[in-house]
Amino acid sequence: MCDTCGCPSPSDHSDHSHSHDHSQPHSHQTPGPSKTVDVHASLFAANDALARANREHFDEIGAVALNLISSPGSGKTTLLEHTIEALKGEINIGVIEGDIETERDAERIRAKGVPVIQLTTGGACHLDAAMTHRGFHRLQQEPGGDKIDLLFIENVGNLVCPATFDLGEHERVVLVSVPEGPDKPAKYPKAFTSSHTFVITKTDLLPYFDFPVPEATADALRLNPQLRAMDLSSKTGAGMDSWLNYLRDLVKKMQDSKKA
Amino acid sequence: MHEISLVEGLFQQLKGLAAENQASKIISVTMEIGPHCGVVLDSFQFGFDILSAEDELLKGAKLIVKVPPVSYQCTNCSHVEVTTGNKPDGCPACGELLLIPSGGTDLMLLQVEME
Repeated sequence: MCDTCGCPSPSDHSDHSHSHDHSQPHSHQTPGPSKTVDVHASLFAANDALARANREHFDEIGAVALNLISSPGSGKTTLLEHTIEALKGEINIGVIEGDIETERDAERIRAKGVPVIQLTTGGACHLDAAMTHRGFHRLQQEPGGDKIDLLFIENVGNLVCPATFDLGEHERVVLVSVPEGPDKPAKYPKAFTSSHTFVITKTDLLPYFDFPVPEATADALRLNPQLRAMDLSSKTGAGMDSWLNYLRDLVKKMQDSKKA
Repeated sequence: MHEISLVEGLFQQLKGLAAENQASKIISVTMEIGPHCGVVLDSFQFGFDILSAEDELLKGAKLIVKVPPVSYQCTNCSHVEVTTGNKPDGCPACGELLLIPSGGTDLMLLQVEME
């Protein structure tokens, strides 16, 4: 502690201003007996406990939960629109949309006829387990929200912060679109080391960008050898089959484990 | 961007601890902030400074930060570099750019000094 005025940051003392005015009377008396308490508790513990509770709840009702993480504009919502179309009548889908502002994404999903709610974080850069919990209960109140097999949680567009917060999902999917470039695994390793699946989107744009799919995939796999990698175009439908089969497998596994 | 809300959560926890220990003043808070826990140190310090300044219990409290070591394994030659500093630009042994970080992902409240 700074011994001049008691400000908490001695090193920054010269370059930030204080409202702490030395002309005002304030005491500098010797402190009383102090005690030191060892805590050793993670600040993420509360989120992680809630995330576990979410996951147990999803297991109980037999819903597979996926957390979609990517930069803004990588095509998460468009992929969901096409996924909902393709799996209509086969798998009951529900969507939690996370954004800083606006209902826009939820409106796009709602137009596809599946239960959806929008979480607006009001500036926060990621969803957390508590928001997901509240969001899911709201989703269950929506028409069709009581029988969801597959829950998509579309995180706030950001490759950094969402990687830190477990929402209670079963699988985490990281998406990178072709125009963003192939260096994302090297630049944002945590999004890739913490994910189960890596999806390269907008492959219809490959002719116009320098995006070597095999190299980007290999980079991601070197960071996380367990990663499932696929590339697709929502627009042309190329590669959509592996994505849809991946989703079908997850739902089937969940339903089989419910029967067992 | 989420550092302020993490500091708010920390302060809630500190208030509980102070009440449990009949303390009226927190003198110092020791945190372990992993380089890969998604927290920017300067932003956390900033949040701590502005929020503690307006809190009776925490006014003047000092934030002590410990940075745990992180190991970076080279995806090419498997060399492991352990550091508490910045992520190496490349593998010091072979120059490979893609390194797998491990450790340093937690944000822990270690110790609180109070009176």
